Amino acid sequence: MTMKRNGTPSANGTGVGLTMTLDGEKVAFTRGETVYEVAERHRSEIPTLCYDPRLESFGGCRLCVVEVEGARNPVASCTTEAQPGMRVRTRTAALETQRRILMEMVASENRDLDVDPMHGYASQEMAELLDRYDARTGRFRGATSGTSRPDDDNPFIGRDYENCISCYRCVRVCAEQEGDYAISIMNRGFHTQITTEFGGLLKDSACTFCGQCIQTCPTGALGDLKALANKDVPGETEKTRTICTYCGVGCSVDVMTRGDRIVGILPAMDGPANEGALCVKGQFAFDFVGHPDRLDTPYVRDEKDGPLRPSTWDEALDFAAGRLRKVVEGHGRRSVYGIASGRAPHEAAYMMQRFIRAGLGTNHIDNCSRA
Amino acid sequence: MATPTDQDLIERWQDEPAPLLPLLHAFQERDGYLSEEAMRAVGRGLRIPIADLFGTVTFYHHFAREPAGLERPRVCDGPVCQMRGTEVLTASLRAAGHDPSPMPCPGRCDQPVPVITGSEVLTGRTAGTLVSGPSPLPPFPPDGTEECVFAGIRRPGRATLEGYRHHGSYDALEQAVTGMTPGDVIDVIDASGLVGKGGAGFPAGRKWRAVAEAPGTPKTIVCNADEGEPGCFKDRVLMDHDPHALIEGMALAAYATGAVRGFIYLRYEYPDTAGILERAIREAEGAGLLGDGILGTDFRFDLCVRRGAGAYICGEETSLLNSLEGKHPFPRNRPPFPVTHGYENLPTVVNNVETLASAPPILLHGADWYQGLGLGDHAGTKVISLSGDIRRPGNYEVPVGLPLAKLLHDWAGGVPDGRTVQAVTMAGLSGGFLAGRDLEVTLDEPSIRPRGSFLGAGGIMVFDDSRDMVAVTRQSMEFFAHESCGKCFPCRIGTQRLVERLDGGGPGSVDAWVDEVADLNEVMKKTSACGLGQAAPLLTESLIRYFPDRIRAYLEKGA
Repeated sequence: MTMKRNGTPSANGTGVGLTMTLDGEKVAFTRGETVYEVAERHRSEIPTLCYDPRLESFGGCRLCVVEVEGARNPVASCTTEAQPGMRVRTRTAALETQRRILMEMVASENRDLDVDPMHGYASQEMAELLDRYDARTGRFRGATSGTSRPDDDNPFIGRDYENCISCYRCVRVCAEQEGDYAISIMNRGFHTQITTEFGGLLKDSACTFCGQCIQTCPTGALGDLKALANKDVPGETEKTRTICTYCGVGCSVDVMTRGDRIVGILPAMDGPANEGALCVKGQFAFDFVGHPDRLDTPYVRDEKDGPLRPSTWDEALDFAAGRLRKVVEGHGRRSVYGIASGRAPHEAAYMMQRFIRAGLGTNHIDNCSRA
Repeated sequence: MATPTDQDLIERWQDEPAPLLPLLHAFQERDGYLSEEAMRAVGRGLRIPIADLFGTVTFYHHFAREPAGLERPRVCDGPVCQMRGTEVLTASLRAAGHDPSPMPCPGRCDQPVPVITGSEVLTGRTAGTLVSGPSPLPPFPPDGTEECVFAGIRRPGRATLEGYRHHGSYDALEQAVTGMTPGDVIDVIDASGLVGKGGAGFPAGRKWRAVAEAPGTPKTIVCNADEGEPGCFKDRVLMDHDPHALIEGMALAAYATGAVRGFIYLRYEYPDTAGILERAIREAEGAGLLGDGILGTDFRFDLCVRRGAGAYICGEETSLLNSLEGKHPFPRNRPPFPVTHGYENLPTVVNNVETLASAPPILLHGADWYQGLGLGDHAGTKVISLSGDIRRPGNYEVPVGLPLAKLLHDWAGGVPDGRTVQAVTMAGLSGGFLAGRDLEVTLDEPSIRPRGSFLGAGGIMVFDDSRDMVAVTRQSMEFFAHESCGKCFPCRIGTQRLVERLDGGGPGSVDAWVDEVADLNEVMKKTSACGLGQAAPLLTESLIRYFPDRIRAYLEKGA
């Protein structure tokens, strides 16, 4: 995650001149910034599993604890606001030991420690921290938590909760970013479980399959099933930054390809229009690109209910123009209604309305994005 | 009376303050459980997303989601009741055709073994001998030791307004609203040295002053009556026998801080207490002691009772506030504290029952009087709920600084059957065990804290020398694992791993076992987000400290 909601200290008033001490170094901060945010700017590389910069700080995983002079216990840096004169240590031997033990505890509750990166954007976070803290020790062995939902046969979101660590990033992103409130937290303690209303399937819930829960999951408990279907496609995954073509919002995406095949879509966390959000189409509906039924040349149907035959652009356009003209001549200009595709760029949409208004003389023009 | 419709129930509650819990209780009482349809109706009525509402309902132990679940007997499996016959009673209920399930300590350690069925609490040892009855009054202290909150509690009729007034009470409120400024009231409480009696021991006067000075209205007084700590049953006896003392204390806090609304957040397991409090509030309202224009002045304070639904964590003040607000009852991140960002993010006093009930006598008799009730340099008194292997279990209001041995032997008659004290718990279960020479402590934080424990809410369970301390620790840790909310990793995973290690799991060698348990203890104490996860490891820590031989024997037996 690279995006930041709070920027660097600015000279615009309230935050001027505030400083604290971070690992012995005097640093500036803006009022309202958390210790974690200040430390991130200074590359302290504080570990965390429940943090997503787009969400309200939660303070669940406790990996980001830091020592604040005068405090009895370490505090979670993600929920602690920076204060003038605060003296903070982010990587003492004691903290690193606590973090290692916490990571050993986390590792002990999951079925798998390593998952295919095609699971989602954040899916390697836990594994990377396990390596960083050398925490694959097998200590604290015991019951594993979470019950997977292989019965949820939706084609988009895999729900493998035996790999869930109850950071609740999925629940929070669903509520705070998407506004769907489709999932929540059931039960307590070690028996907490991510659930929909009454424990049902996602398709029967308020879920819109936007996929944001997948992309923020740090363990791969939630998986992008469309991308995972391509996990065995040979070749290195290449990522290409582009704009989603589905509608006019302009969400930034990183298209994953292997060879000439699109194998998955990742939302761009730094996309100015979407901040990591996508919709079901932008996230999952990419397989039309290489589909055998996709049109590769214009087709013409000579008579009603007749077969389609391959044609050329010139022939097809002349044919369409001729039929349109015939309709207008026969039934009047108001017998035509134009709907521009939401996937068309502005310029094309403009041309479409000019064509309908100036060309055919009617105001019967709309855009499918309205629906 | 006709059975109320969904719409009747929703209309009854939707415009009331903190409506979610009472509305869910109303549906549960009507239907005997919370059906899917009921939850959907509540979600629509209160505009709560249905997934959130469902998740929140599952958080509470006493919301039943199966038909007839409310009537299903729930039997205490707390540490004291397990010594007093949980198993026998459960078997006897089963033989009588019931389908009993265990529940965490419902605060009847002085009357084992309690069972909740429907909305009734019964106590007894077998299915055929279960009875309901009032909370036992506290035993008299020896040698005429002066009391604060228990001074008037044994007087007949004390729970009624007439009985309470007969003995001169509500005088403190009258004195305050007619003759003192709010600042004067805070000054007296501050000078008395009164500290919070729910566990944390924060100075009450400082809390009230912080709320009085905090910007934002309306302000709120919340009485934390979610007495969920196993081995604690002091607030129950206070509310059952002296409800007006609590109401007067809350009104004083409201006057001192400028608050206009109050809640008593009462644990689910005290249904009789709910009725007593409701009745007392109606009486006080009728007498102009609550509501608009209190005692002929322009002081206004509205008070209502909200019942929890079975969640220990809701005794943590920020969980309690989330619960009141109808949210998922995870603890909030602090700071900000409730004094500035409490109920509905506005300044809020959250005080324990005993703390609030102490305010009227302090105001009447003065700060010096209260100070003087303690021994040595210690101010005031503390109610101790004493249970387990002790001749006279019950609630004792002791002077702060009283030697523990004196309470156990002189006040409560010592250990029965010629046995000796092996260990006691402190702070209910949260303070872990004291044993050996550490039983020589005095009952005050400066004496107890250096021993790695704390007095807290004042529950003390006694275990004689016949008890299996590893088994007691396991039962106690099972409680914390059951009640861990699931928000923070060290507590959610740590309580589970500690239970497993006390129940035959984990490494078999003593060194590896102690190594893992000590690491879990340390990380839970240092990094847990709230008091539950920080306190639970005190059990295993004190087990290792006092009983290393028992651990060895336990592990050898397992091997």
